[in-house]
Order: sequence, then C-alpha cells, then structure tokens
Amino acid sequence: MFPLTRADSFAQRNDDAFDAYGTYPLHQRAPHKDVFAEGVQHTQQPIVTGTSVLAIQYKDGIMMTADTLASYGSLARFKDVSRLHPVGTSTIVGASGDLSDFQYLQSRLDQLVTDEFTHADAHDLGPAEVHEFLSRVLYGRRSKMDPLWNSVLVGGFRDGKRFLGYVDLLGTTYSAPSIATGYGAYIAIPILREAVDGRQDKLSESDAKAILHDCMRVLFYRDARSIDKYQLATVTADGVHVSDAQPLDTSWGFAEGIRGYGAQTQ
Amino acid sequence: MPDGSFSHPQQRQFNPYTENGGTILAIAGADFTVIAGDTRQSEGYSIQTRYAPKVFRLTDRAVLAVNGFAADGNMFVKKVKQRLEWYRHAHAKDMPLRAIARLIQTMLYAQRFFPYYVYNILGGIEEDGSGAVYSFDPVGSYEREACRAAGAASSLVQPFLDNQIYFKNQTAAPGTSHPTHLPLPDVLSIVIDSFTSATERHIEVGDGLEMYIVLAKGRSAQSLEGMRGLQELSTRPDGDRVFVIRKELKKD
Amino acid sequence: MSIMEYNGGSVIAMVGKECVAIASDLRLGNQSLGISSHFQKIFPMSDRIYLGLPGLATDVTTLKEQFRLRLNMYTIKEEREIEPETFAHLVSSTLYERRFGPYFIEPVMAGLQKTPSGAYKPFIAATDLIGCLNFAKDFVVAGTASTKLFGVAEGLWEPDLEPEDLFETCAQTLLNAVDRDAYSGWGAEVYVVTKDKVIKRTLKGRMD
Repeated sequence: MFPLTRADSFAQRNDDAFDAYGTYPLHQRAPHKDVFAEGVQHTQQPIVTGTSVLAIQYKDGIMMTADTLASYGSLARFKDVSRLHPVGTSTIVGASGDLSDFQYLQSRLDQLVTDEFTHADAHDLGPAEVHEFLSRVLYGRRSKMDPLWNSVLVGGFRDGKRFLGYVDLLGTTYSAPSIATGYGAYIAIPILREAVDGRQDKLSESDAKAILHDCMRVLFYRDARSIDKYQLATVTADGVHVSDAQPLDTSWGFAEGIRGYGAQTQ
Repeated sequence: MPDGSFSHPQQRQFNPYTENGGTILAIAGADFTVIAGDTRQSEGYSIQTRYAPKVFRLTDRAVLAVNGFAADGNMFVKKVKQRLEWYRHAHAKDMPLRAIARLIQTMLYAQRFFPYYVYNILGGIEEDGSGAVYSFDPVGSYEREACRAAGAASSLVQPFLDNQIYFKNQTAAPGTSHPTHLPLPDVLSIVIDSFTSATERHIEVGDGLEMYIVLAKGRSAQSLEGMRGLQELSTRPDGDRVFVIRKELKKD
Repeated sequence: MSIMEYNGGSVIAMVGKECVAIASDLRLGNQSLGISSHFQKIFPMSDRIYLGLPGLATDVTTLKEQFRLRLNMYTIKEEREIEPETFAHLVSSTLYERRFGPYFIEPVMAGLQKTPSGAYKPFIAATDLIGCLNFAKDFVVAGTASTKLFGVAEGLWEPDLEPEDLFETCAQTLLNAVDRDAYSGWGAEVYVVTKDKVIKRTLKGRMD
C-alpha cells in the first residue's frame, strides 16, 4: 500500500459526505471496517514448550527451579534453554508453556525495568509489582481472546519479605508457600506441601535445595517432556542468583530385569 | 478419509473461563451483616492455594464477596474499588450501600456479552442503619435479601439457610411468631455450621473461613469481644464498623 | 435431558437412637410438568425394613414388584424374614444384574437389624443405579434434591436422636431440601421405625 498523499487527505476533507470531526454519536457512525479482521488468527496453541516450574519459600527467601528443555511436541528440540529470568534486583520469573510467548514476556519485563530505571526516581520494581504487571498482561490478552500460553511463577525477596505468586494464560493468580506448574502441580506439589508448608521460616538453603532437587528427579522419572538438566534460582536479601545448568543424579539400576524398563532385547 | 473426519478443519477454541470453586454466604441482621467465604482456590481436582480471599472490605459499611472465576473476580473487585475511590474524590464521602449495589449491577451488565463469570454478594449497612444483603447473578440481576449463599456449595447451604434464617417449614409456638432478624451470635453459629457442613460434603470447600462482620453505627461490639481470630478493619471507631474473624476449616 | 430427572423425586434415610427414619416427597412429574402429588416412593419390605425408590417412575413400579418376588422367594427358601443387611445385598445384586442396561433408580433403605442378643440395631444403606452399596452411620440421600438433602442433613442431624426428634429432623431436612428443588416436593411422607411400632406421617408441603 502507498502512503496517503496530501492530495488524498485534502480530497477527503472536501468530501461533504466525510465527517472529519466525528460529529455523530458513536452508534450512528458508519462501522469501522477492518479489512484484515477475517485474516487475524487469534486462538493458537503452544508450539515450543517448557514443562514444570517449581518454587518454594524458605528461611532466607524463595527458591525456584526449572529444567532446560524446550520441546517441540514430543521432540526434545532445544536442550539448553533457560526458563528462569531475573527481573530487576529482587525478582525471578519462571515460565512453563509456550516459550516464544515467554520470550515476548521477557522483553516486556526488560523494557519495564529499563523504563523504571530511566525515571531515576529511587523507585524500582519488586516481585509484587512484577506479578501484578504480568497478571494484567496475561488477563488482558485472555480478554482479547489472544492468550499468552504460559503458566508463570514470580518469586522474590524485598524489604525483608518473601513473595511467591502464580499467574497463567487465563489471568488466574494466587500465592502459596509452595507452587508448581504443569505436571509439577500433580507430582511435585504433594512432596512440596509435605516438606515446606508451615515450615517456611525454618528451612535452610541446603534444605530447600535438597527438596527441589528431589522433586526435579521425580519429575524427570515420570514427566516425558522433561530432561535431566536444570537450573536453580535463589532470591534472598543478597539479590537474585540463577545457577548454571546442572545435571540430575538418577539411578536406573532397578530397571535391570524389569521387562519394559531396561535394555532387554526380548 | 471416508468417514469425513477431515471435511471440516477442526479448531480448538480457547476457553477464556474456568471455575475456581469455593462458596460465599451473607446474612443480614437488624443492625449488622455477616459476609463470609472460604479461602480455598482450586481448579479441577487440584487445590491451587489454601488461602485466597474471596471477601473484600470496600468501605466501612460495605463488604463484597466474589465467587466463580477467580481472575474475573479479582479484576471486578479491583474495578469496583477504583470506582468507589473516584466517588470518594468527587463527593468527599463513601458511597452508600444501595448505590454500590446499583453500581455493581451496571458494571456487570456492561459486560453482558463477555460476562464476568462471578456471583457477587454485597453486604453491609444501609443509610438507615439496617443490615442489608444484595445478591447478583453474573450479568447484573440483583435483589436485596436477608440471606444468600452462592458458589460451589450454594445448593447445600441455601436450603439450610431457608430453614434456619427464614424459619421455612417451621411453625411458631401458638401465640408467638418467628423473629424477623436473629441476634449476631446466632448468625455467626449458623455461618460456621454452614461452612463446616459444606466442607464435609463438597470437595471444593475448605481450608479456611473468613467472616466479615459489619456493625451499624452506635451498635455495641460487645458480643464480638474475646472471639478468637478477631480483627477490626474500620478506619474510624464512631461510624459503621467492620470486623473480620478468621477460622480454620478442614483441609481434606 | 437426564433420565434420572425425568420424573423427579427424592428420598432420605436417617439413623436415630434405636430407631430409623426414611422419608420421601410425593411428586411425580413429566420433566417440569407436575402430574401427581400422591406418588409413593417408599415401600415396606418387611415389618422392619422400608425401601425408597427415587428415579424413573416406571422402574419404581417394576423394582417394587421385583423385590416383592425376590423377598417372597427368600422367605420361602429360608423360612425366616430377611435381615436389613442381607436385603441391602439383595438390592445391590438385583441392580448389578442389569449393569449395562440399568434400572434408573437409586434405592435408599432403612430398617432395624436383629442382633444376637435379641435387641434391634438401626440400619440404613443406599446404592447407586448399578448397585454400589453405601452403608452410612448417619444418613443417606438420593434423588433430584440429593445435593440439597446433603447440605441440610449435614447441618441438622446429630447422633442418638429419639424417635420424635428423628422424625422432626428428617421431615425438616426433606421439606427444606425439596423446596429448593424444581423436580421434588408436592407433599411428603415420613416413616419412623422403632422396635415396637412404625409411625407413618404424611406431610403437607409447598405446592409450587
């Protein structure tokens, strides 16, 4: 399409039938027609996906973990993708679901942090603000019937207080001492509730690490869309720290002799 | 394919709604109102959290309980609170209860063709000092009542309330009549019984109970003193007052 | 349209102190149209066993006769009256025979069971439409108002009620539950079974 020329706009203004100032009430105006409307495909489905994210509160703050696999259907497509994203100095965001939608959220969050920084007004964003922002973005998109296909965990530590929240593609939010997305909600949550809930103030960093490590191993054993490589993020008074990808220790010795598990030929 | 399974390209439609369980309930007294809700939030068979409030203090004389699709509920409460703040800035006073009720109806009906999937119960004190309950459907139909239950276990609780609050199917002893309003301690007992019953028989109800109590200006708060888990939320001691009582419910 | 809601109707049974109560509404409908306010759903199976049959009306009639037959056969063969627990299993197996083409009935039964010492012990039970037994210690419900019955009963019932109190609890539970159910109501009847008598009361209810 060519840009509108001056002549075009003048021609329009001289057209008596054209109501340039919008003087009619909204409901009497000619309906605005979007010629591309029929071509817009909203409702999609997740394509390249990440599986569960787990997070818990503990004595010094919050700890979050996710494996590094990006699946394409049942294909283990990318095996070293980080799904934990630090935001500012006191927040970690972890996502499962569509990873391109998550990358869009990452850029929105980075832009938000930059904008906030450029104000230079001594304010910055904490986990509660990031969670509120994400819930508004996700709820807004679901209301346009064009959802961002993710379940997102937001964890952080600020002003001596822990924060752990959840938001998903519908805009549903909640917080709890332990949260898991995807298969984690079925497999890890029973373990986490037993180990964490009501003991948040007592759990040490090494306790928290061990609990999450256990859950990630169970998930790797049972979740077909997982991989034995994961990252751990901690947010404490000292700030955000995301670990390098580390391997899971697994043992398959029991499988020997069980038909269907081991490497039998018959 | 001969079976025609490919003749129409199949498309999965995104469903913008879900149900998050829970139950809410409100009962009006002569000069008080009790508005209560459990604190469990669930989706399907999973409990998402054991503490997600469904009951919110709007002003010193109005409390709103919201149940259904939690995301819509939270957004709706946020917008009602915003409108009440605008009203405060414009008129230098809190909006009266019956005006809040009408506001809620217009806000719900504005979304008639993409509704907030929530049942609302508004409770508080009317300008004449009487306790009042307004209940709404998702698209804004509303009425003032003496009591109402809504949400997942509403069908369990409402007939119990008919019996215990309205004395339905009960005849008063000769020469006497049923009271039109019950005293506060009786109402609190009925609310607690309703929720323990609902918790027993409905899987989406449990974990915690939050009971908000709005007392009319000048009414004594004596019957509340010493109750476990009591907290006052009013901004001033000489007007209508708001209290909350938090209790545990069974977690299974 | 659910076949279980085609004719409407509800039944409840409760345990008391050395007594049991069983109650039902009296409505027979054709979906939302009321047909009769005299449709009984509770039938005596012996002096001390009563059976409620909420569900599809045609199956109420069929099953009532079916159980009369099977009960007579049992009495002739065994030369004694059936005990409630045995009867519950008879109900269960009768329904399970039709596992893949069931009767659309959810039976509720109440009775007094003879103990070795000669005393009588309260017994209630209910099954789903294919005969899965539920032996409850407090109360059982079935029919189109079942959720409402659960709610009210859970709030009103308490252990060891005397016959008159049990009657009141059972009647109030039923009446208030069916008043919130479009498919149940139009009058009710309550049976209270004690060791030496059975009290039957027919109750007026809302007719809307």
